[in-house]
Amino acid sequence: MLGGVPLHRDEIPPGTLYLLILRTLARGGEMHGYEIADSIQRISEDVLQVEEGSLYPALQRMLIKGWVKAKWGVTAGDRRARYYQLTTLGRKQLAVEVSQFERVMRAIARVVQTA
Amino acid sequence: MTFFSELGRRLLMLVRRHQFDRELEEEMRLHQELREQEHLGAGMSAEEAHYTARRHFGNATLTQERSRDMWGWSWLENAMQDVRYGLRQLRRSPGFTAVAVLTLALGIGANTAIFTLIDAVMLRSLPVANPGQLYRLGDNNNCCVMIGTQNGGSFVLYSYPLYEHLRDDTTDFSEVAAFQPFLSDLSVRRSGVASAAEPYKGEFVSGNYFTMFGVGAIAGRALSSSDDKSGAPPAAVMSYHTWQTHFGGDPSVIGATFTINTVPYTVVGVTPPGFYGDTLRSDPPDFWLPLAADPDRWLFSAEPEWLYLIGRLRPGVAPERVQAQLTGELQQWLGSRPEVIPERDRGDIAKQHIHLTPAPSGVDQMQTDYAAALRLLVTIAALVLLIACANIANLLLARGAADRSASALRLALGAPRARLIRQKLTETILLAVAGGAAGLYVAYAGTRTILLLAFRGAHYIPISPKPSLPVLGFAFFLALVTGVVFGAAPAWIGSRADPADALRGAGRSTGDRTSVVQKPLIILQVAFSIVLLIGAGLVTQSLRNLEYQHFGFVTEGRLIVNIAPSLAGYTPDKLDGLYQRLEEALPRIPRVLSASLSWYSPLGGNNANEGVYIHGKPPDYRWTAPSWDRVGPHYFETIGTRLLRGRAIEERDTPAAQRIAVINETFARRFFPKEDPIGQHLGMGDASHSGDYEIVGIVEDAKYQDTRGPAYATFFLPLLQTPPGEPLRGWVGAIELYVAGKPEDLEPFVRKTVAGIDPNLTILRVQSFAEQVNLNFNQDRLIARLTELFGLLALILACVGLYGVTAYAVERRTNEIGIRMALGAGRRNVLGLVLGSALTQLGLGLAIGIPAALAGGRLLAGQLYGVKSYDPMILGLAASILAGCAVLAASVPARRATKVDPMVALRQE
Repeated sequence: MLGGVPLHRDEIPPGTLYLLILRTLARGGEMHGYEIADSIQRISEDVLQVEEGSLYPALQRMLIKGWVKAKWGVTAGDRRARYYQLTTLGRKQLAVEVSQFERVMRAIARVVQTA
Repeated sequence: MTFFSELGRRLLMLVRRHQFDRELEEEMRLHQELREQEHLGAGMSAEEAHYTARRHFGNATLTQERSRDMWGWSWLENAMQDVRYGLRQLRRSPGFTAVAVLTLALGIGANTAIFTLIDAVMLRSLPVANPGQLYRLGDNNNCCVMIGTQNGGSFVLYSYPLYEHLRDDTTDFSEVAAFQPFLSDLSVRRSGVASAAEPYKGEFVSGNYFTMFGVGAIAGRALSSSDDKSGAPPAAVMSYHTWQTHFGGDPSVIGATFTINTVPYTVVGVTPPGFYGDTLRSDPPDFWLPLAADPDRWLFSAEPEWLYLIGRLRPGVAPERVQAQLTGELQQWLGSRPEVIPERDRGDIAKQHIHLTPAPSGVDQMQTDYAAALRLLVTIAALVLLIACANIANLLLARGAADRSASALRLALGAPRARLIRQKLTETILLAVAGGAAGLYVAYAGTRTILLLAFRGAHYIPISPKPSLPVLGFAFFLALVTGVVFGAAPAWIGSRADPADALRGAGRSTGDRTSVVQKPLIILQVAFSIVLLIGAGLVTQSLRNLEYQHFGFVTEGRLIVNIAPSLAGYTPDKLDGLYQRLEEALPRIPRVLSASLSWYSPLGGNNANEGVYIHGKPPDYRWTAPSWDRVGPHYFETIGTRLLRGRAIEERDTPAAQRIAVINETFARRFFPKEDPIGQHLGMGDASHSGDYEIVGIVEDAKYQDTRGPAYATFFLPLLQTPPGEPLRGWVGAIELYVAGKPEDLEPFVRKTVAGIDPNLTILRVQSFAEQVNLNFNQDRLIARLTELFGLLALILACVGLYGVTAYAVERRTNEIGIRMALGAGRRNVLGLVLGSALTQLGLGLAIGIPAALAGGRLLAGQLYGVKSYDPMILGLAASILAGCAVLAASVPARRATKVDPMVALRQE
């Protein structure tokens, strides 16, 4: 990072970005990209920082995979924006990712606690 | 399901990618603007808010690219980009592109042409139903009539009764068909049409022939077993090609009556297009006729063995078992026929066997005849392609060196090396594919030319020069491989450009990887070229030796006319009159100096041999039976064979006169090594005939059949002399004319004269003696002409390559040369400097190529006539031609080097 970022934030662990997006969309219904990034940041109480740009390749991949669908709408500020919404396939994927994440976390926790 | 819907979404992305691109950009812009507003709300200055938002977002272009990667089409877009870039590069240097495409077109075209032939001759099956079920009863192409046991015990020719026995006693074949191994001349006239009879080719086949092949008729019907019974109304089937070219596809031909060899036949049908019978050959049958319809056939005699057999094996039957069973039946049959196998040969019956060979392509006549030639041509064509590849690689290297600074710059700007290599390879593959496409045309023209050369004298060749699907696939595959082969090294070297070079300025790099690869390529080209040139020299000399050898006759000013009185319905008692009228009328044709008749003429494809019995000598089985011919008065003087002793056959040798014979030198040497042959007696058939003919003269040896070996021992008999009670064999089939001026021009007068004697006497063929002899060298000529062509091509390519490399070296070393000259080097030194390098490459190439040519020549030795594979004259000539051209090619840039102005060169620094 070149610029002096005022707050120190942790980068999200690799591979969990999809999980975060899926979970956010599951909770929030229809959201556009900025709202998703914002939401992740807020709910993590500013600990997790999505490198904002990386959100978009991830969203494109999820569109291709059919986990989310998108349609164009208008924001509160009267701007055109693309709203993303979870599909049935996306919900299934979320379940998969959550269980995977919990498995990994439990494993890590075990390793850390045994020490 | 998921996979397909995902693919659907991906395809949608591809089709609408511009729209998606725009939307993505809009979406990301909104994101940044919203963030910016948030910062503004938090009290940042406008500028600070803008940049903070930007910074948080990261590299927008990169993000967009990565998003696009997610669609999964970046490889395609990159490839398209590479293709567009490649096309642009090629368009920028049209000269280079033209030379490269032309070179490749010649290289790929030559190989595709040869492959077209290999595909047609070697790989293609007969155009019949399930050719894989066809099996031939026999494993060689022995022809044409045999009696008793067969060569090496392997049966291939069968008598009609033996055929019937095998056909009816073997249930493992659905059908076994019999046919003549050779085609018969036919004299054909459509009934009710007033024109003269015309010559055609026919094949006599068993009635189940078409059923066995599973070939029907495109119009009318095919022959059936009921047509092949004595007493059945004569029926014939016409080939599609003949129907189209000679009868314009006239439907009234089917059912019409044709007089064939004086017998009225009904044409019952036309074969499907593409069907050429059982053997791939030039001028395939125009008509198929049932065996029973031919009055001359030996249908009821078990002695003459004269039929080839092909059967269709039932599905699931093991050929090995059938083969063993057939052999058993053959031996049993031979054992029960004392008239077939004489007492002294009965011990050989156990050795007689039938080898059942797969026959998906029928009788492999052309396959056997042309295998060696095709192998040789494949090798040569591959060499030419390799030389072409080396040449284009060299051109690419020189060009790559020219855009090295561009490559260096792109590397410096962060282009991945792999991408650079891929771009270069794309460019070369584009070149190769363009060359391949142009090569298809070269191949088409080349195949046509090769077919014309190989089958000179033929009216119709059932091989299409049009590229078939396998040929197209082969050409495309070859182009791809070629592109990778000649593109790999230049692409790799091009990508090794040092980014620092771009900054330092062009032409200052000392390490020169280009020439490290270029020079071996030139050496290789020189080596390949000398191999081809020496090969071309050898086969050309061999062909000249064949064509200009001493044949024992003279071809200049001679015309040969082939006739067949038997086809016009002549009987033996009418022959005397016909011969006399011909002998009277022919010399009266203007410009005819001398005319004669004979059974057959030298090197016309005919040869008869038969065991001979010399009066007072025991039969000698050590030698193959001598050849014999029937000739009329003036025969030897007409064809230019010298009479050595005694007298020739003359007018006085009438049927009633004393029976005489003339022999050749080899006959005299072999049968009368110690005594004087003149006055001795000989005969044919058995010892009781040994007194039939008295030898009255000896003529010089002449070649009648084999152009490479020595002349056969031969005896000549008068046209009509035959012992009492014996049928006359050897009817006149050839007229020889010795004329003043061009022999071919005489054709209309000869036709008129013959028609004046008998309008039904069909003239089968008219050609000059020289042409008749030349047709024997079709294959040698094909090889010689193609090798010469390829040799010339190789020579040009090698010289272009050497020129290019030397020119490139001179350009790169302009500074160095300038400095040397400024320091006092003379023009001579500079010339030596540049030429020295070229000469070293030439010398090394020759040093590798000449031993390779010597080794290769030994493989060629079997096909050479009168020239040793290490002929020093040809070796020297080929080497000096190559060296001369190479020095010439290198001296052009070398002279340019001597004109370098030291001041200009130094100022360039």
